Amino acid sequence: MNGILRTAVFAVSLLLPVAASAAQTQYQLRVDGLACPFCAYGIEKELERTDGVESLEIDINAGTVTVTMADGAAMTEAQASRIVEDAGFTLGGFEEVRTQAGNKPE
Amino acid sequence: MIRRRTILRIAGGAGVVLVAFVVAGWLAFVPFAKEPGYEFVRAWGEKGSGPGQFNDPTGIAVAGDEVFVADSRNGRIQVFDLEGNFKRQFGKPGESLGELGRPMNLTVAGESLYVAEYFNDRVQVFGLDGAPKRIIGKAGAGPGEFRAPGGVAVTPEGELYVTDFYNHRIQKLGADGGFLRQWGTTGESGIGAGEFGYPTDVALGPGGTLYVADGYNDRVQVFAADGRFLRKWGGPFATNITGPFNGWFATVTGIAVDGRGNVFVADFYNHRVQKFASDGTFLTSFGGKGAGPGRFIYPMGLAVAPDGSVYVTDFGNNRVQFWRPNTKER
Repeated sequence: MNGILRTAVFAVSLLLPVAASAAQTQYQLRVDGLACPFCAYGIEKELERTDGVESLEIDINAGTVTVTMADGAAMTEAQASRIVEDAGFTLGGFEEVRTQAGNKPE
Repeated sequence: MIRRRTILRIAGGAGVVLVAFVVAGWLAFVPFAKEPGYEFVRAWGEKGSGPGQFNDPTGIAVAGDEVFVADSRNGRIQVFDLEGNFKRQFGKPGESLGELGRPMNLTVAGESLYVAEYFNDRVQVFGLDGAPKRIIGKAGAGPGEFRAPGGVAVTPEGELYVTDFYNHRIQKLGADGGFLRQWGTTGESGIGAGEFGYPTDVALGPGGTLYVADGYNDRVQVFAADGRFLRKWGGPFATNITGPFNGWFATVTGIAVDGRGNVFVADFYNHRVQKFASDGTFLTSFGGKGAGPGRFIYPMGLAVAPDGSVYVTDFGNNRVQFWRPNTKER
């Protein structure tokens, strides 16, 4: 019984890293004043040259920037704050939206 | 003990003083219109990537009978006739010669089109037929380098004035791109004369006078051809006080000068264009927020045609509008 259990646990533990690396983390950053292209492009420019950032989407009306990271990459709020400040803004909010590959965020 | 009547008298007196202050302030800082104004003629465009469609139209220039529009997210320049009919386009997103990384304000000088590229930190020069000629500048904060250039003006000798957004300065470069001089302290914004807060565009007036759209300082600054500061305007004492009144601004993103030296300014968050005499006297304004004819959602760039028509990129509506001086009798 113990041997089977140990094998089962071992088998599951092999799967876990695979499941974790298939997750792409998304963050939603709240920033004011994104309507002006000088501003919005400034943030895009800073984010696109940040390691681990795969893509981003700006919603002018909502005042949000949704950042999708590459597999396994992450961003801290402090990092987001610094990036946004370098572009001349203040970070108004920072929320992590974790997604599994192929799944919609909850 | 203070009587009720006394309190009322004091309150009444204070009210009179307050009203007097407001009236005095209004008279001092809010000018009246001095011209009949402009009438809306036509708009064209919608969101998309086909001919005549835009995805973030930014800069605009008129040369002869052609209108050049920077179609920023599409990474291209589109060329129209003066009525808005599509003629040709060139460019695609990218970094190589002939490719564009978020083109912003642009200008035509001689037979060349100069385009400020926000992402590529450079100015690219094209022939009016779209043939790429050369690239000026690169990323950085040194002489001849840029951090997000947003606008450019060119003298008859081919010298360039470039607005350097994140470096808070205006640079003057030789025709070869060599650094000549700058206004503003690199990397430091300020509200004094000759200091900038995220400058967005430049335009040259008669005699080589330089007009600067000092973007997030909500004002215009003017320099003589030899570089001397001449004047500034935009709200009380042009010290970055924003507002919706005549002569006040809420972020200026484009500036143009007509043949008579009149100055036109795209007043981005006020959704309007304002017109001034060369000395800063407010003349008239047009626009207002909306998506219908003659309304703007974030007017970004503008240009004046030889006949006095004003062409404006209506950024938030993904279209271009043009207006003419009002010919109706008052």
